[in-house]
Amino acid sequence: MNYIPITEQDEKEMLSLLGLKSIDELFVNVPAKLERELALDAPLSELEVRKKLHELSDKNKPMKYFRGAGSYWHYVPSAVNHIILRGEFFTAYTPYQPEVSQGTLQAIYEFQTLICALTGMDVANASMYDAASAAAEAMLLARSENEKNEVVIANEINPQYVETLKTYANACGFVISNELSERTSCVFIQQPNYHGSIENLHKFVADAHEKGAIVCVIVGEPTSLAIIEPPGNFDVDIVVGDLQCFGNGLNFGGPTGGFMAVKKNLTKRIPGRLCGLTTDTRGNQGFTLTLQAREQHIRREKATSNICTNQALNALISTVYLSLLGKTGLQNVAARNYKNAHALCKKLEAVGFRLLNTAPFYNEFLMQTPVPIETLNAKLQDNGLLGGLEIDKNKWLLCATEMLDEKDIEKFVDIVKSVR
Amino acid sequence: MTTPKLIFEYNTKNTEHVPNENAEVDLPNDLKRKELSIPDVNEVDVIRHFTELSKKNYGVDNGFYPLGSCTMKYNPKINEDVARFHGFANLHPQSPLLNVQGSLQLMYELEQMLCEITGMDVFSLQPSAGAHGELTACMITRKHFGAKRNKVIIPDSAHGTNPASAAMCGFEIVEVKTNSSGGVDLDELRSKVDSNTALLMLTNPSTLGLFEENIVEINKIMHDAGALTYCDGANMNAMLGITRPGDQGFDMMHLNLHKTFSTPHGGGGPGSGPVGVKKFLEKYLPVPRIVKKDDSYALEFNIQESIGRVRSFFGNFGMHVRAYTYIKSYGKMLKRVSQIAVLNANYIMRSLENHYQLPYNKTCAHECVFSGGSFAKYGIHTMDIAKRLLDYGFHAPTIYFPLIVKEAIMIEPTETEGKAMLDAFINTMKKIAEEAEKNPDLLHNAPVSTPVGRLDGVRAARQPNLRYEPVCRIC
Repeated sequence: MNYIPITEQDEKEMLSLLGLKSIDELFVNVPAKLERELALDAPLSELEVRKKLHELSDKNKPMKYFRGAGSYWHYVPSAVNHIILRGEFFTAYTPYQPEVSQGTLQAIYEFQTLICALTGMDVANASMYDAASAAAEAMLLARSENEKNEVVIANEINPQYVETLKTYANACGFVISNELSERTSCVFIQQPNYHGSIENLHKFVADAHEKGAIVCVIVGEPTSLAIIEPPGNFDVDIVVGDLQCFGNGLNFGGPTGGFMAVKKNLTKRIPGRLCGLTTDTRGNQGFTLTLQAREQHIRREKATSNICTNQALNALISTVYLSLLGKTGLQNVAARNYKNAHALCKKLEAVGFRLLNTAPFYNEFLMQTPVPIETLNAKLQDNGLLGGLEIDKNKWLLCATEMLDEKDIEKFVDIVKSVR
Repeated sequence: MTTPKLIFEYNTKNTEHVPNENAEVDLPNDLKRKELSIPDVNEVDVIRHFTELSKKNYGVDNGFYPLGSCTMKYNPKINEDVARFHGFANLHPQSPLLNVQGSLQLMYELEQMLCEITGMDVFSLQPSAGAHGELTACMITRKHFGAKRNKVIIPDSAHGTNPASAAMCGFEIVEVKTNSSGGVDLDELRSKVDSNTALLMLTNPSTLGLFEENIVEINKIMHDAGALTYCDGANMNAMLGITRPGDQGFDMMHLNLHKTFSTPHGGGGPGSGPVGVKKFLEKYLPVPRIVKKDDSYALEFNIQESIGRVRSFFGNFGMHVRAYTYIKSYGKMLKRVSQIAVLNANYIMRSLENHYQLPYNKTCAHECVFSGGSFAKYGIHTMDIAKRLLDYGFHAPTIYFPLIVKEAIMIEPTETEGKAMLDAFINTMKKIAEEAEKNPDLLHNAPVSTPVGRLDGVRAARQPNLRYEPVCRIC
């Protein structure tokens, strides 16, 4: 199968204009030429390639998930896919020519607005790769603002975010410290945290600000923002998170997308694309990428970040998702997550499991199990359910989203009881 | 004056995508959200709103998109179907290994195929985009040398992401000039390499659309000085089955799956920027790595010298599925992709060379770079030419890049354009050159056929309006 419309006749005519006899003559001066065929298979037709991919897909085993830990099983309305597959969005690139990119640009502007509304912050960018790398970018942002290089990472942050922060810290010259001090550039806290707990951020933020540190909140499960106080209401400086929950599905971890929102005073330090509203030569309003003097294609080594291609389509997915759900739908999703998780928790408590969260939780919680987790998960797996993640001996991180109904929860508890 | 209608200006009855939940959530009051300013909009309105927006956009599906260095090739529709197969799309990344064998096999095989295509020994699929791949390579370089070497050499024709990525890892950037035939100036390179040089980052073919003819020598100069070399693989679309960065002597490289391997550009991502390295650098690659044991696949997390994780999970997996599908479709015929991409670019270059100034007059790779500088006498700049192209229904080429070409116009047709489309573009470019001379105002006033005219960038930057606020819209 190929997507090359040039015919043999075309090729002849084109070579003739170039004064060449064969296409190989275009490559005579190329050094280190490969003097053999690529050792790849013979080409496949669309039908064959589809079968091949079906075989691989069928080797995977999707389940009903009672597991989150950084990726959450949420419903994606059908309309999302129909919109994003429109070729005008799907096959465009970064809106360098705003006159023919108003669709992408307006969607980014709406995305920025939605992220600000959800987080309670002033300015959001057009997206990052994911929450983990967005947190790392926040660390760089903080250093550019206060010229300090110590970072404090609170407990109970998703270990993958911590690992990513450490990677960037090692390569980019940061010191990770356990103690808040005058030397602290940035402190990270996750809300809800890795165990699902919702923290009161007032004291945390006040303590950090007293030492002159920048506070970055990583939103652990962004659908929670529909019902919990947003980080912006606690005077935090930077908020990052993942777009996975907002319509991007599971996809074995990617592509998702990250978001970053900041207080107004940090606008000129934010990494990546920003879209702004302005006017055109005809006196109409229109959108364009703006404040580009921050970016790598203008500032090169002095840019606020190296980010270029971001996750625009995933941001569009989230924009469409949030528009479709609206305030009412989002609150329904969040309430259902909350209630399912709490129902599951109560039923497990009734059969001898102990809740380890001391603060209120959202859709994820940590349980002390009276039997080995391996045994529980094996039995659940046999029944098409993926149990919680074992994060320590007999510590079971469970999650329940709106995708589960009462019957699923009932079935889960029955299986657990049978192991008990 | 028209003002675009925003999603926030609708207020219609919510569609029930999820069941209604009337019960109160029993969160403590100080944690409970008090207000949420997101509108309720019915699905019908949402669909019409975004359909209307899509009509103000231009993609490869609409027509010719010769954006140089971005490889705006056709994105096969089959890629989208297979990426949505149940086993891929609904797979939780925290699933046990037993449940994810198909995905791991796909990623493992994709890594193998990328090795064969590039001549690298091992690949990591984790980086999310080209710039993320560059950063990963700079982190590997940092890990390899520690604080011993602190300079990164980058040609003046490089993408801005190269110096930006190196600077993030604390490297000092040393620029090396391009010579009069469009290659790296070897004498200058030799004079700038020393025992403090850690890395050369080089794009091949260069952003001038020229194969680096001295690439083997360049790699040797660097290696003799004990430095590493990195190939920015943004222009891999010129090299498939023809020449391999690994054979040219590079130690590391990244690929842009969204360029060479047809995954959609999506209005600016998701990308995917796998990094390939030679065997001696394998130990530094990000974790987790995919390993094959007998007939099953596993993930290796504990690798002592790895730089660590550069993001969550395993990279943009959905893009891996699409690139895998694309490579399987072409198989060993991938060479034809680069042959035609290069043929198309040369055809455009030779068809327009008498109409636009060609700064480097030699066979080009997959893209050609003109200068709009010769139109200055009519008061015309490259920007005007680009905007006029929009009026004729084409996307503009990349403009004002590379920075070393004055008024640059960088055209990359890709292999997925037929001769009729190339001819239509060529004729339009000739017509615009004529207009520039005879009726320059047509260009100055362009575009006139687009949903909006030229935007006021100065105003956008001086009075930033970055989100909708009902009471204080720009007047």
